Amino acid sequence: MRRTGTPSWLSTRRGEPGLPGRDDDVVATPPSVARVWAVGGGKGGIGKSFLVANLATVAARSGKRVILIDADLGGANLHTCLGVRAGERVSLSDYFEERVLDLDKVAIETPIPGLRLILGALGHTGKAETTQEQRQALLKAVRRLPADLVIFDLAAGTDRSTIDFFLEADDGFVVTTPEPTAIENAYAFLRAAFYRRLAGALSDSNVRELIRVAMDQRNERGIRTPGDLLGAIEKLDPAEGERFRRVLDTFRPHLVVNQVRDTEEVKMGFSITSVCKKYFGIDIDYAGYICFDDNVWRSVKDRRPLVLAYPHSDGALYVRRIVKKLLGA
Amino acid sequence: MVRPLTEQSYYELLEAPAEGTPQQIERAYRIARATYSPSSTAAYSVFSADECAAILRRIDEAYATLSDARLRREYDARLRHADPRVRVPTRASAPAPAMPLRQRAERAPVPPPRQSAPEPDIDGGLVPDNGIFDGDVLRRIRVSLGIELEEIAATTKINEHHLRSIESNHYDQLPPPVYLRGFLKQIAKCLSLDAGHVADSYTAHMRESSARRD
Repeated sequence: MRRTGTPSWLSTRRGEPGLPGRDDDVVATPPSVARVWAVGGGKGGIGKSFLVANLATVAARSGKRVILIDADLGGANLHTCLGVRAGERVSLSDYFEERVLDLDKVAIETPIPGLRLILGALGHTGKAETTQEQRQALLKAVRRLPADLVIFDLAAGTDRSTIDFFLEADDGFVVTTPEPTAIENAYAFLRAAFYRRLAGALSDSNVRELIRVAMDQRNERGIRTPGDLLGAIEKLDPAEGERFRRVLDTFRPHLVVNQVRDTEEVKMGFSITSVCKKYFGIDIDYAGYICFDDNVWRSVKDRRPLVLAYPHSDGALYVRRIVKKLLGA
Repeated sequence: MVRPLTEQSYYELLEAPAEGTPQQIERAYRIARATYSPSSTAAYSVFSADECAAILRRIDEAYATLSDARLRREYDARLRHADPRVRVPTRASAPAPAMPLRQRAERAPVPPPRQSAPEPDIDGGLVPDNGIFDGDVLRRIRVSLGIELEEIAATTKINEHHLRSIESNHYDQLPPPVYLRGFLKQIAKCLSLDAGHVADSYTAHMRESSARRD
Protein backbone atom coordinates (compact mmCIF):
# COMPACT_ATOMS: atom_id res chain seq x y z
CA MET A 1 0.00 0.00 0.00
CA ARG A 2 1.53 3.29 -1.02
CA ARG A 3 -0.34 6.43 -0.26
CA THR A 4 -0.57 9.32 -2.63
CA GLY A 5 -0.91 13.02 -2.05
CA THR A 6 0.89 15.28 0.38
CA PRO A 7 0.62 14.72 4.12
CA SER A 8 -1.24 17.60 5.67
CA TRP A 9 1.59 18.35 8.09
CA LEU A 10 4.07 18.81 5.28
CA SER A 11 1.87 21.32 3.54
CA THR A 12 1.39 23.43 6.63
CA ARG A 13 4.68 23.24 8.46
CA ARG A 14 7.28 22.18 5.92
CA GLY A 15 10.48 24.13 6.21
CA GLU A 16 9.48 25.72 9.47
CA PRO A 17 9.67 23.08 12.14
CA GLY A 18 9.30 24.61 15.55
CA LEU A 19 12.10 24.47 18.04
CA PRO A 20 11.78 21.43 20.25
CA GLY A 21 9.22 22.10 22.91
CA ARG A 22 8.40 25.57 21.71
CA ASP A 23 4.84 26.80 22.25
CA ASP A 24 4.66 28.05 18.70
CA ASP A 25 4.63 24.42 17.57
CA VAL A 26 1.00 24.21 18.52
CA VAL A 27 -0.30 27.71 17.97
CA ALA A 28 -1.75 26.78 14.59
CA THR A 29 -3.55 23.75 16.00
CA PRO A 30 -7.30 24.04 15.43
CA PRO A 31 -9.54 24.19 18.49
CA SER A 32 -9.75 20.86 20.23
CA VAL A 33 -12.90 18.81 20.06
CA ALA A 34 -11.57 15.72 21.74
CA ARG A 35 -10.11 16.01 25.19
CA VAL A 36 -6.64 14.49 25.12
CA TRP A 37 -5.11 12.53 27.96
CA ALA A 38 -1.60 11.09 28.11
CA VAL A 39 -0.54 8.41 30.57
CA GLY A 40 3.17 8.09 31.35
CA GLY A 41 5.32 7.43 34.35
CA GLY A 42 8.94 6.70 33.61
CA LYS A 43 9.16 3.07 34.66
CA GLY A 44 7.98 0.07 32.70
CA GLY A 45 5.67 -2.57 34.16
CA ILE A 46 3.79 -0.27 36.51
CA GLY A 47 0.40 -0.73 34.84
CA LYS A 48 0.18 2.17 32.40
CA SER A 49 -1.44 0.11 29.64
CA PHE A 50 -3.73 -1.59 32.14
CA LEU A 51 -4.83 1.81 33.42
CA VAL A 52 -5.29 3.27 29.93
CA ALA A 53 -7.39 0.29 28.76
CA ASN A 54 -9.62 0.53 31.81
CA LEU A 55 -9.99 4.32 31.91
CA ALA A 56 -10.96 4.18 28.24
CA THR A 57 -13.44 1.37 28.76
CA VAL A 58 -15.18 3.24 31.57
CA ALA A 59 -15.36 6.40 29.46
CA ALA A 60 -16.67 4.50 26.41
CA ARG A 61 -19.30 2.71 28.51
CA SER A 62 -20.52 6.09 29.73
CA GLY A 63 -21.25 7.09 26.12
CA LYS A 64 -18.05 8.88 25.16
CA ARG A 65 -16.39 8.22 21.79
CA VAL A 66 -12.90 7.17 22.80
CA ILE A 67 -9.78 6.52 20.74
CA LEU A 68 -6.64 5.07 22.28
CA ILE A 69 -3.19 5.59 20.82
CA ASP A 70 -0.49 3.12 21.72
CA ALA A 71 2.45 5.50 21.66
CA ASP A 72 4.84 2.93 23.09
CA LEU A 73 6.59 2.73 19.77
CA GLY A 74 9.17 0.20 20.87
CA GLY A 75 6.94 -2.11 22.91
CA ALA A 76 3.33 -1.76 21.89
CA ASN A 77 0.98 -4.08 23.78
CA LEU A 78 -2.11 -2.06 24.61
CA HIS A 79 -4.09 -4.12 22.10
CA THR A 80 -3.63 -7.22 24.25
CA CYS A 81 -5.22 -5.52 27.27
CA LEU A 82 -8.30 -4.96 25.10
CA GLY A 83 -8.49 -8.41 23.55
CA VAL A 84 -7.46 -7.19 20.10
CA ARG A 85 -5.15 -9.29 17.91
CA ALA A 86 -2.70 -7.00 16.18
CA GLY A 87 -1.61 -9.34 13.40
CA GLU A 88 -1.05 -7.49 10.15
CA ARG A 89 -3.55 -4.76 10.92
CA VAL A 90 -3.03 -1.11 10.20
CA SER A 91 -0.94 0.70 12.82
CA LEU A 92 0.92 3.90 13.61
CA SER A 93 3.74 2.61 11.41
CA ASP A 94 1.45 3.00 8.40
CA TYR A 95 0.76 6.60 9.37
CA PHE A 96 4.40 7.47 10.03
CA GLU A 97 5.50 5.70 6.82
CA GLU A 98 2.79 7.62 4.94
CA ARG A 99 0.99 4.51 3.79
CA VAL A 100 -2.23 5.89 5.32
CA LEU A 101 -2.87 9.60 5.25
CA ASP A 102 -5.98 9.82 7.41
CA LEU A 103 -5.31 9.02 11.07
CA ASP A 104 -8.97 8.21 11.59
CA LYS A 105 -8.56 5.29 9.20
CA VAL A 106 -5.79 3.90 11.40
CA ALA A 107 -8.16 3.61 14.38
CA ILE A 108 -9.50 0.05 14.46
CA GLU A 109 -12.58 -1.21 16.26
CA THR A 110 -12.24 -3.04 19.59
CA PRO A 111 -14.71 -5.43 21.23
CA ILE A 112 -15.91 -2.48 23.34
CA PRO A 113 -18.55 -0.32 21.63
CA GLY A 114 -17.44 3.29 21.31
CA LEU A 115 -13.77 2.46 21.87
CA ARG A 116 -11.29 2.38 19.00
CA LEU A 117 -7.56 1.76 19.06
CA ILE A 118 -4.61 3.03 17.09
CA LEU A 119 -2.10 0.23 17.31
CA GLY A 120 1.51 0.95 18.18
CA ALA A 121 4.16 0.90 15.53
CA LEU A 122 4.18 -2.86 15.01
CA GLY A 123 6.57 -4.14 12.41
CA HIS A 124 8.38 -0.82 12.39
CA THR A 125 11.68 -1.94 10.98
CA GLY A 126 13.50 1.31 11.53
CA LYS A 127 14.20 2.89 14.88
CA ALA A 128 11.20 3.39 17.12
CA GLU A 129 12.01 7.08 17.68
CA THR A 130 9.99 9.55 15.64
CA THR A 131 10.98 12.87 14.18
CA GLN A 132 9.72 16.21 15.44
CA GLU A 133 7.73 16.63 12.23
CA GLN A 134 6.09 13.24 12.55
CA ARG A 135 5.05 14.00 16.11
CA GLN A 136 3.64 17.38 15.13
CA ALA A 137 1.70 15.76 12.31
CA LEU A 138 0.30 13.14 14.64
CA LEU A 139 -0.66 15.67 17.29
CA LYS A 140 -2.47 17.87 14.80
CA ALA A 141 -4.31 14.88 13.36
CA VAL A 142 -5.31 13.77 16.86
CA ARG A 143 -7.10 17.06 17.38
CA ARG A 144 -9.17 16.37 14.28
CA LEU A 145 -10.23 12.86 15.24
CA PRO A 146 -13.98 12.35 15.63
CA ALA A 147 -13.83 11.51 19.34
CA ASP A 148 -14.71 12.92 22.74
CA LEU A 149 -11.61 11.55 24.40
CA VAL A 150 -8.23 10.48 23.02
CA ILE A 151 -5.77 8.75 25.34
CA PHE A 152 -2.06 8.26 24.64
CA ASP A 153 -0.47 5.24 26.26
CA LEU A 154 3.13 6.41 26.56
CA ALA A 155 6.32 4.39 26.59
CA ALA A 156 8.48 3.99 29.67
CA GLY A 157 11.36 6.42 29.96
CA THR A 158 11.72 10.10 29.25
CA ASP A 159 12.61 10.28 25.58
CA ARG A 160 11.64 13.36 23.63
CA SER A 161 8.59 11.92 21.88
CA THR A 162 7.15 10.57 25.12
CA ILE A 163 7.53 13.91 26.89
CA ASP A 164 6.16 15.81 23.89
CA PHE A 165 3.00 13.70 23.81
CA PHE A 166 2.65 14.15 27.56
CA LEU A 167 2.95 17.93 27.37
CA GLU A 168 0.59 18.20 24.43
CA ALA A 169 -2.23 16.49 26.32
CA ASP A 170 -4.95 18.40 28.12
CA ASP A 171 -4.40 16.10 31.08
CA GLY A 172 -1.12 14.33 31.75
CA PHE A 173 -1.14 11.36 34.12
CA VAL A 174 1.97 10.15 35.90
CA VAL A 175 1.60 6.57 37.08
CA THR A 176 3.73 4.97 39.75
CA THR A 177 3.59 2.08 42.15
CA PRO A 178 4.62 2.48 45.81
CA GLU A 179 8.06 0.96 45.12
CA PRO A 180 11.13 3.24 45.42
CA THR A 181 12.29 2.46 41.88
CA ALA A 182 8.97 3.43 40.34
CA ILE A 183 8.75 6.58 42.46
CA GLU A 184 12.27 7.60 41.48
CA ASN A 185 11.40 7.14 37.81
CA ALA A 186 8.18 9.11 38.27
CA TYR A 187 10.16 12.07 39.61
CA ALA A 188 12.60 11.74 36.69
CA PHE A 189 9.64 11.81 34.32
CA LEU A 190 8.13 14.87 36.01
CA ARG A 191 11.49 16.59 36.03
CA ALA A 192 12.00 15.95 32.30
CA ALA A 193 8.48 17.16 31.48
CA PHE A 194 8.81 20.21 33.70
CA TYR A 195 12.10 21.39 32.22
CA ARG A 196 10.94 20.73 28.68
CA ARG A 197 7.77 22.68 29.42
CA LEU A 198 9.93 25.51 30.72
CA ALA A 199 12.20 25.44 27.67
CA GLY A 200 9.07 25.76 25.54
CA ALA A 201 7.67 28.70 27.47
CA LEU A 202 10.80 30.83 27.74
CA SER A 203 12.29 32.38 24.65
CA ASP A 204 15.49 34.17 25.71
CA SER A 205 18.43 32.14 24.38
CA ASN A 206 20.54 32.73 27.51
CA VAL A 207 17.67 31.57 29.69
CA ARG A 208 17.11 28.49 27.55
CA GLU A 209 20.80 27.69 27.87
CA LEU A 210 20.48 28.05 31.64
CA ILE A 211 17.60 25.57 31.63
CA ARG A 212 19.69 23.16 29.57
CA VAL A 213 22.45 23.42 32.17
CA ALA A 214 20.00 22.97 35.05
CA MET A 215 18.65 19.73 33.56
CA ASP A 216 21.94 18.14 34.57
CA GLN A 217 21.46 17.77 38.32
CA ARG A 218 25.22 17.89 38.88
CA ASN A 219 25.69 21.09 36.92
CA GLU A 220 28.59 23.39 37.74
CA ARG A 221 26.34 26.38 38.29
CA GLY A 222 25.03 24.81 41.48
CA ILE A 223 21.42 24.91 40.31
CA ARG A 224 19.80 22.08 42.25
CA THR A 225 16.12 22.85 42.30
CA PRO A 226 13.64 24.73 40.14
CA GLY A 227 13.72 27.37 42.88
CA ASP A 228 17.47 27.85 42.31
CA LEU A 229 16.81 28.06 38.57
CA LEU A 230 14.12 30.68 39.07
CA GLY A 231 16.54 32.80 41.08
CA ALA A 232 19.17 32.54 38.33
CA ILE A 233 16.66 33.39 35.60
CA GLU A 234 15.29 36.39 37.48
CA LYS A 235 18.81 37.78 37.67
CA LEU A 236 19.16 37.38 33.91
CA ASP A 237 15.72 38.58 32.84
CA PRO A 238 12.88 39.45 35.26
CA ALA A 239 10.25 39.08 32.50
CA GLU A 240 11.38 35.52 31.84
CA GLY A 241 11.28 34.94 35.58
CA GLU A 242 7.63 35.97 35.54
CA ARG A 243 6.93 33.49 32.71
CA PHE A 244 8.66 30.84 34.78
CA ARG A 245 6.27 31.54 37.64
CA ARG A 246 3.33 31.12 35.27
CA VAL A 247 4.63 27.72 34.24
CA LEU A 248 4.87 26.70 37.88
CA ASP A 249 1.31 27.84 38.45
CA THR A 250 -0.17 26.06 35.46
CA PHE A 251 1.82 22.85 35.18
CA ARG A 252 -0.46 20.45 37.00
CA PRO A 253 -0.16 16.79 36.06
CA HIS A 254 -2.28 14.12 37.72
CA LEU A 255 -0.77 11.37 39.85
CA VAL A 256 -2.09 7.80 40.00
CA VAL A 257 -0.56 5.27 42.39
CA ASN A 258 -1.11 1.72 41.22
CA GLN A 259 -0.94 -1.56 43.16
CA VAL A 260 -1.64 0.02 46.52
CA ARG A 261 -1.87 -2.58 49.28
CA ASP A 262 -2.71 -0.63 52.44
CA THR A 263 -3.40 2.79 53.92
CA GLU A 264 0.32 3.44 54.24
CA GLU A 265 0.68 3.11 50.47
CA VAL A 266 -2.36 5.30 49.83
CA LYS A 267 -0.54 7.98 51.81
CA MET A 268 2.42 7.61 49.44
CA GLY A 269 0.41 9.60 46.92
CA PHE A 270 0.04 12.48 49.40
CA SER A 271 3.76 12.26 50.13
CA ILE A 272 4.70 12.42 46.45
CA THR A 273 2.49 15.48 45.93
CA SER A 274 4.14 17.06 48.97
CA VAL A 275 7.64 16.41 47.64
CA CYS A 276 6.65 17.86 44.25
CA LYS A 277 5.34 20.95 46.00
CA LYS A 278 8.42 21.42 48.15
CA TYR A 279 10.98 20.50 45.46
CA PHE A 280 9.51 21.68 42.16
CA GLY A 281 7.11 24.21 43.62
CA ILE A 282 4.33 22.60 41.55
CA ASP A 283 0.93 21.56 42.78
CA ILE A 284 0.24 18.16 41.25
CA ASP A 285 -3.17 16.54 41.58
CA TYR A 286 -3.45 13.19 43.34
CA ALA A 287 -6.10 11.85 40.99
CA GLY A 288 -6.41 8.51 42.73
CA TYR A 289 -5.00 5.10 43.34
CA ILE A 290 -5.75 1.55 42.28
CA CYS A 291 -5.59 -1.07 45.00
CA PHE A 292 -3.63 -4.26 44.52
CA ASP A 293 -6.17 -6.77 43.31
CA ASP A 294 -5.66 -10.34 42.09
CA ASN A 295 -8.44 -9.71 39.61
CA VAL A 296 -6.11 -7.34 37.76
CA TRP A 297 -3.71 -10.04 36.58
CA ARG A 298 -6.64 -12.35 35.93
CA SER A 299 -8.18 -9.73 33.65
CA VAL A 300 -4.86 -9.16 31.86
CA LYS A 301 -4.49 -12.90 31.41
CA ASP A 302 -8.06 -13.04 30.04
CA ARG A 303 -7.18 -10.08 27.75
CA ARG A 304 -10.24 -8.19 29.00
CA PRO A 305 -10.37 -4.85 30.81
CA LEU A 306 -10.82 -5.29 34.55
CA VAL A 307 -13.90 -3.07 34.61
CA LEU A 308 -15.65 -5.52 32.26
CA ALA A 309 -14.23 -8.80 33.50
CA TYR A 310 -14.59 -8.00 37.21
CA PRO A 311 -16.81 -4.93 37.42
CA HIS A 312 -17.46 -5.33 41.15
CA SER A 313 -13.81 -5.69 42.13
CA ASP A 314 -12.11 -3.03 44.23
CA GLY A 315 -9.70 -2.31 41.37
CA ALA A 316 -12.59 -1.57 39.00
CA LEU A 317 -14.20 0.72 41.56
CA TYR A 318 -11.07 2.83 41.87
CA VAL A 319 -10.63 3.07 38.09
CA ARG A 320 -14.22 4.34 37.78
CA ARG A 321 -13.51 6.80 40.56
CA ILE A 322 -10.65 8.38 38.61
CA VAL A 323 -12.75 8.71 35.45
CA LYS A 324 -15.60 10.22 37.44
CA LYS A 325 -13.27 12.74 39.00
CA LEU A 326 -11.74 13.78 35.68
CA LEU A 327 -14.73 13.53 33.35
CA GLY A 328 -17.68 13.53 35.70
CA ALA A 329 -18.76 10.38 33.79
CA MET B 1 3.32 29.51 42.83
CA VAL B 2 4.33 27.62 45.94
CA ARG B 3 6.59 29.80 48.09
CA PRO B 4 10.14 28.74 49.06
CA LEU B 5 10.34 26.68 52.23
CA THR B 6 11.88 29.48 54.22
CA GLU B 7 8.96 31.77 53.41
CA GLN B 8 6.13 29.28 53.93
CA SER B 9 3.63 29.70 56.74
CA TYR B 10 3.17 26.88 59.22
CA TYR B 11 -0.01 25.89 57.38
CA GLU B 12 1.84 25.73 54.08
CA LEU B 13 4.61 23.68 55.64
CA LEU B 14 2.14 21.12 56.94
CA GLU B 15 -0.06 21.50 53.83
CA ALA B 16 -3.02 21.90 56.17
CA PRO B 17 -5.98 24.24 55.69
CA ALA B 18 -5.71 27.50 57.60
CA GLU B 19 -9.18 26.86 58.99
CA GLY B 20 -8.37 23.18 59.70
CA THR B 21 -9.61 21.34 62.75
CA PRO B 22 -7.12 19.94 65.27
CA GLN B 23 -7.70 16.52 63.69
CA GLN B 24 -6.80 17.86 60.25
CA ILE B 25 -3.65 19.47 61.63
CA GLU B 26 -2.74 16.21 63.31
CA ARG B 27 -3.33 14.22 60.12
CA ALA B 28 -1.34 16.66 57.98
CA TYR B 29 1.51 16.46 60.48
CA ARG B 30 1.55 12.66 60.42
CA ILE B 31 1.72 12.65 56.62
CA ALA B 32 4.45 15.30 56.61
CA ARG B 33 6.53 13.40 59.19
CA ALA B 34 6.19 10.19 57.21
CA THR B 35 7.08 11.95 53.95
CA TYR B 36 10.40 13.41 55.15
CA SER B 37 11.45 10.75 57.67
CA PRO B 38 14.81 9.04 57.02
CA SER B 39 13.02 5.85 55.94
CA SER B 40 10.68 7.61 53.49
CA THR B 41 10.63 6.26 49.95
CA ALA B 42 8.84 9.37 48.72
CA ALA B 43 11.60 11.88 49.43
CA TYR B 44 14.94 10.07 49.41
CA SER B 45 15.60 10.29 45.68
CA VAL B 46 14.85 14.03 45.56
CA PHE B 47 16.07 15.48 48.85
CA SER B 48 19.32 14.67 50.63
CA ALA B 49 19.26 13.41 54.22
CA ASP B 50 20.31 16.87 55.43
CA GLU B 51 17.57 18.58 53.43
CA CYS B 52 14.97 16.17 54.80
CA ALA B 53 16.22 16.83 58.34
CA ALA B 54 15.91 20.59 57.80
CA ILE B 55 12.36 20.21 56.44
CA LEU B 56 11.43 18.00 59.39
CA ARG B 57 12.71 20.63 61.83
CA ARG B 58 10.45 23.23 60.21
CA ILE B 59 7.52 20.78 60.21
CA ASP B 60 8.00 20.04 63.91
CA GLU B 61 8.21 23.74 64.65
CA ALA B 62 4.96 24.29 62.74
CA TYR B 63 3.20 21.46 64.54
CA ALA B 64 4.37 22.61 67.97
CA THR B 65 2.54 25.88 67.38
CA LEU B 66 -0.52 24.72 65.46
CA SER B 67 -1.30 21.83 67.82
CA ASP B 68 -1.46 24.19 70.80
CA ALA B 69 -4.72 26.16 70.81
CA ARG B 70 -3.28 29.27 72.47
CA LEU B 71 -0.11 29.36 70.41
CA ARG B 72 -2.15 28.80 67.27
CA ARG B 73 -4.46 31.73 68.05
CA GLU B 74 -1.48 33.99 68.61
CA TYR B 75 0.19 32.75 65.44
CA ASP B 76 -3.03 33.22 63.40
CA ALA B 77 -3.26 36.81 64.64
CA ARG B 78 0.33 37.50 63.59
CA LEU B 79 -0.28 35.81 60.25
CA ARG B 80 -3.48 37.77 59.59
CA HIS B 81 -1.62 40.94 60.30
CA ALA B 82 1.20 39.99 57.92
CA ASP B 83 -0.94 38.43 55.17
CA PRO B 84 -4.75 38.85 55.26
CA ARG B 85 -5.15 36.25 52.46
CA VAL B 86 -4.16 33.40 54.71
CA ARG B 87 -7.70 32.83 55.96
CA VAL B 88 -9.31 32.67 52.53
CA PRO B 89 -11.17 29.33 52.54
CA THR B 90 -9.77 26.73 50.18
CA ARG B 91 -11.93 25.92 47.19
CA ALA B 92 -12.82 22.51 45.83
CA SER B 93 -10.84 21.77 42.71
CA ALA B 94 -12.78 21.75 39.45
CA PRO B 95 -11.94 19.66 36.38
CA ALA B 96 -9.23 21.42 34.43
CA PRO B 97 -10.16 23.03 31.10
CA ALA B 98 -9.30 21.12 27.94
CA MET B 99 -5.99 22.72 27.08
CA PRO B 100 -2.54 21.24 26.63
CA LEU B 101 -0.26 21.51 29.62
CA ARG B 102 2.12 23.35 27.33
CA GLN B 103 -0.39 26.06 26.45
CA ARG B 104 -1.83 26.68 29.86
CA ALA B 105 0.87 29.05 30.96
CA GLU B 106 -0.27 31.62 28.46
CA ARG B 107 -4.03 31.09 28.48
CA ALA B 108 -5.34 29.51 31.61
CA PRO B 109 -6.23 31.48 34.71
CA VAL B 110 -3.96 30.84 37.64
CA PRO B 111 -5.67 28.36 39.95
CA PRO B 112 -6.06 29.33 43.59
CA PRO B 113 -3.29 27.96 45.79
CA ARG B 114 -4.21 24.77 47.59
CA GLN B 115 -3.06 24.40 51.14
CA SER B 116 -5.34 21.76 52.45
CA ALA B 117 -4.79 18.12 53.28
CA PRO B 118 -6.95 15.68 51.31
CA GLU B 119 -10.67 16.07 51.82
CA PRO B 120 -13.20 13.25 51.50
CA ASP B 121 -14.23 12.79 47.92
CA ILE B 122 -17.58 11.26 48.70
CA ASP B 123 -19.15 12.19 45.39
CA GLY B 124 -16.14 10.86 43.52
CA GLY B 125 -17.19 7.25 43.31
CA LEU B 126 -16.67 5.83 46.78
CA VAL B 127 -20.32 5.97 47.77
CA PRO B 128 -22.37 3.62 45.58
CA ASP B 129 -25.34 4.91 43.61
CA ASN B 130 -27.75 3.75 46.35
CA GLY B 131 -26.05 6.21 48.72
CA ILE B 132 -25.74 3.67 51.53
CA PHE B 133 -22.92 4.09 54.03
CA ASP B 134 -22.10 0.53 55.01
CA GLY B 135 -18.84 -0.72 56.48
CA ASP B 136 -17.14 -1.14 53.09
CA VAL B 137 -17.91 2.45 52.13
CA LEU B 138 -16.66 3.81 55.45
CA ARG B 139 -13.45 1.78 55.11
CA ARG B 140 -12.84 2.97 51.56
CA ILE B 141 -13.34 6.61 52.51
CA ARG B 142 -11.04 6.24 55.51
CA VAL B 143 -8.32 4.61 53.42
CA SER B 144 -8.69 7.20 50.67
CA LEU B 145 -7.88 9.86 53.25
CA GLY B 146 -4.82 7.94 54.42
CA ILE B 147 -6.27 7.47 57.91
CA GLU B 148 -5.29 4.32 59.81
CA LEU B 149 -7.86 2.54 61.96
CA GLU B 150 -5.56 3.09 64.93
CA GLU B 151 -5.83 6.85 64.44
CA ILE B 152 -9.63 6.67 64.63
CA ALA B 153 -9.35 4.53 67.75
CA ALA B 154 -6.94 7.00 69.35
CA THR B 155 -9.13 9.99 68.51
CA THR B 156 -12.51 8.49 69.43
CA LYS B 157 -11.42 6.07 72.19
CA ILE B 158 -13.52 3.42 70.44
CA ASN B 159 -12.08 -0.08 70.76
CA GLU B 160 -10.38 -1.19 67.53
CA HIS B 161 -12.32 -4.45 67.64
CA HIS B 162 -15.59 -2.49 67.37
CA LEU B 163 -14.18 -0.36 64.56
CA ARG B 164 -13.19 -3.46 62.61
CA SER B 165 -16.62 -5.02 63.19
CA ILE B 166 -18.30 -1.86 61.91
CA GLU B 167 -16.14 -1.75 58.77
CA SER B 168 -16.55 -5.49 58.16
CA ASN B 169 -20.35 -5.34 58.56
CA HIS B 170 -20.14 -8.03 61.24
CA TYR B 171 -23.48 -7.02 62.72
CA ASP B 172 -23.56 -9.83 65.28
CA GLN B 173 -20.39 -8.47 66.89
CA LEU B 174 -21.50 -4.85 67.15
CA PRO B 175 -22.28 -3.06 70.42
CA PRO B 176 -25.91 -2.31 71.40
CA PRO B 177 -27.70 0.12 69.04
CA VAL B 178 -27.50 3.12 71.36
CA TYR B 179 -23.69 2.82 71.51
CA LEU B 180 -23.43 1.93 67.85
CA ARG B 181 -25.07 5.19 66.76
CA GLY B 182 -22.67 7.17 68.90
CA PHE B 183 -19.70 5.26 67.49
CA LEU B 184 -20.87 5.80 63.92
CA LYS B 185 -21.25 9.53 64.51
CA GLN B 186 -17.73 9.78 65.91
CA ILE B 187 -16.29 7.83 62.98
CA ALA B 188 -18.17 10.05 60.53
CA LYS B 189 -16.73 13.16 62.19
CA CYS B 190 -13.19 11.77 61.80
CA LEU B 191 -13.92 11.34 58.09
CA SER B 192 -15.56 14.80 57.79
CA LEU B 193 -18.88 13.19 56.86
CA ASP B 194 -22.41 14.10 57.92
CA ALA B 195 -22.60 12.28 61.26
CA GLY B 196 -26.40 11.98 61.43
CA HIS B 197 -26.70 10.75 57.87
CA VAL B 198 -23.97 8.12 58.30
CA ALA B 199 -25.54 6.81 61.52
CA ASP B 200 -29.02 6.66 59.94
CA SER B 201 -27.79 5.06 56.73
CA TYR B 202 -25.60 2.44 58.39
CA THR B 203 -28.20 1.36 60.95
CA ALA B 204 -31.02 1.26 58.38
CA HIS B 205 -28.91 -0.90 56.09
CA MET B 206 -27.97 -3.12 59.02
CA ARG B 207 -31.66 -3.64 59.93
CA GLU B 208 -32.56 -4.48 56.32
CA SER B 209 -29.68 -6.91 55.95
CA SER B 210 -30.49 -8.60 59.26
CA ALA B 211 -34.18 -8.87 58.34
CA ARG B 212 -33.29 -10.43 54.97
CA ARG B 213 -31.02 -12.93 56.68
CA ASP B 214 -33.76 -13.92 59.17
